[in-house]
Amino acid sequence: MNELDKIPVRQEISVAEGNVKRSNPLANVFDELVRFCQSRSMFMLHYCTGCGAIELPPAMTSRFDMERLGIQPMVTPRQADILLITGYVSVKTLKRIILTYEQMPSPKYVIGICSCTVNGGMYWQSYATAKVLKEYLPVDIYIAGCMPRPEAVISGLRDLMGDIKSGRADNWKRYFQNYDHYLGNQQQLFGEDWQTPTDIIAEAEHYGLMTDQTLGEHTALLQKHQQPLEALEFSLGEKREKIQGENPREKNNE
Amino acid sequence: MSKELNLWLDDLLKDIKIIQFKRKNSRRVRIDIAPEALPALLELLQGRASYVHLSAISCVDWIEDDEFELVYHVWSYETNSLVSAHTRISREPGVYLSVYDLYTPAAFFERDIHEMFGLYFEGSPDMEKFILTEWNGPPPMRKDFDSEAFVNQTFNWEEYHPQWLKDIEAEGGGITTRPEDVR
Ligand code: SF4
Repeated sequence: MNELDKIPVRQEISVAEGNVKRSNPLANVFDELVRFCQSRSMFMLHYCTGCGAIELPPAMTSRFDMERLGIQPMVTPRQADILLITGYVSVKTLKRIILTYEQMPSPKYVIGICSCTVNGGMYWQSYATAKVLKEYLPVDIYIAGCMPRPEAVISGLRDLMGDIKSGRADNWKRYFQNYDHYLGNQQQLFGEDWQTPTDIIAEAEHYGLMTDQTLGEHTALLQKHQQPLEALEFSLGEKREKIQGENPREKNNE
Repeated sequence: MSKELNLWLDDLLKDIKIIQFKRKNSRRVRIDIAPEALPALLELLQGRASYVHLSAISCVDWIEDDEFELVYHVWSYETNSLVSAHTRISREPGVYLSVYDLYTPAAFFERDIHEMFGLYFEGSPDMEKFILTEWNGPPPMRKDFDSEAFVNQTFNWEEYHPQWLKDIEAEGGGITTRPEDVR
């Protein structure tokens, strides 16, 4: 058991605070190899929220071919490392994005495509869209443009790959380290009783990323309102019957 | 056949005194009608000239006149033309009759208008929330809802000239072409 603990895999965490290099040169080589492999094999969950999504099919398929960089689309958050948010984010969608983001395994990276994710874009005046995405989740890379061309998307992804390779892409840790801040912004938008099924505080403990910013007044509020999760009731059939019963046409026919 | 039906219909509609009839081209007709007579008109169109397709109901908020304008767009596959029936109802109390018994798709349009404008349709099967299920404010498409004020109150903005950009500029980099230079 003691022997296993000496294997420097989990030590990567201590790399977090800026000092990327470790003193042991061999460990350094190992870290670099791990990061290189990470950056060359990424699974991307594209959350097609807005119009920017239309640039993804050409970026992914034969014309611009993202796969030559080792980036592949993935269908579930549980098996993806990149969350690609393509365009304006309505408040309703933002809830789903946060649920999705929290389900992804670490290390995870968020890319905001389109001006709308930066500052609301041309929907800046809309009551329905959230404006600054990075207030609610840590964003690694923004690709600005309305909408950015596939070349821009690919160049953004290459930047992300470069960041991962050099160990700078650790924004996902911020979500755990500053959870109180992000949760506060989410609560401001969604109301005080906002909660997600994922226990971020426990995960922060698991990753060893608890700081004094992780807990605070907002997490206290969360714990006050938190309700244990229950399975959803499946009531499609009943509901349909109910609506049919109220159908005025049928009443007329009787 | 369809030409004849069109002519026949034009004559008939011009004869009715309470409506204003205007044929815009061979495929579009605009009718302005009092709210009491609108269901009857739709029934006539549907039954006699096979205007069977209600493509949309649109709503306009004329806040200065204190009125809502409802526009019913119906299409006939027989005469290949679109009739837009315009009617105006007062903003208060903002209640009107549903045409769900004539056109089933009206349920969705009416539910949408109810959500966006707060107009209530009597006899519509479902006036629950539709798209804005997580919205608690006033109906947002009404002219008296100030979207910009709401946004400024609810959201923060990204800084346009942040410190890191100033730092880059101090070193001689930054944005090469400013929007002012292009316009
Ligand atoms: S930035 Fe432009 S293209 Fe992208 S989501 Fe916004 S409006 Fe659509």
